[in-house]
Amino acid sequence: MRMHEGSITIHIAADVKEIERLNKLVRQFGELHEVPSRALYAVNLALDELVTNVVLYGFEDPTGKQVAIRIATKEGELIASVLDEGKPFDPLAVKTPDLNAPLEQRELGGLGIHLVRSLMDSVSYSRDADKNVLTVRKRIR
Amino acid sequence: MQIQEQKQADVMIVTIDDHLDTAAAPGFEQRLLGLIDGGERKVLVDCGPLEYVNSAGLKVFLLAAKKLETIGGQFIICSLAPSVLMIFEMIGFTRIMKILPSREEALREFGTTAPA
Repeated sequence: MRMHEGSITIHIAADVKEIERLNKLVRQFGELHEVPSRALYAVNLALDELVTNVVLYGFEDPTGKQVAIRIATKEGELIASVLDEGKPFDPLAVKTPDLNAPLEQRELGGLGIHLVRSLMDSVSYSRDADKNVLTVRKRIR
Repeated sequence: MQIQEQKQADVMIVTIDDHLDTAAAPGFEQRLLGLIDGGERKVLVDCGPLEYVNSAGLKVFLLAAKKLETIGGQFIICSLAPSVLMIFEMIGFTRIMKILPSREEALREFGTTAPA
């Protein structure tokens, strides 16, 4: 089965309650374009983590602010970008948690971005004009 | 997400369903840590009906496991769906937490047998 090529841009309010709606829209896009369910699950979780980060930490005051999510299927890849006008922030600079640490030394930070890196084939950040652009790619085998 | 609590002998069984995400995590944290603060020392989280977890939810498991370890309690997680178990493995929790396939096996581990 091959994916159909296409793209969608979704705008959501900077609010964690919007993430469930985002996930539904991403699922619909995925089903319509015949994205394999495992890849869709992974991209949805990665987007959840990235958008949550932006909503919780990106703005002084998230009221009235928006986050854009762009998803495209192209040449055997699912590509998703999160764009926001929050403060410049590169989540890839966050320290990776030490997965070998014993329980009492395991830290609470960095879990989300570790998941994103593990679930995706590539993750990149750029500051484009006044926007943070975080792009993830998942190869479809 | 719904949270159900059920006491079986000295084990507090907490069952969660659906989505444990950023919106649901604070409520789950409050309930789970509240039970430990209230004196529960053997805590089992049954994730059978749980379909989705993100890092906000994972943090709650980590907090509870740390807390129970510090006070000499026991924390077990059971019945993870394959897609949820994959996330626990990815984040390294299968190395630091006791995760068992079924509620029966978890209760045996606590030394409590399920009623016939």
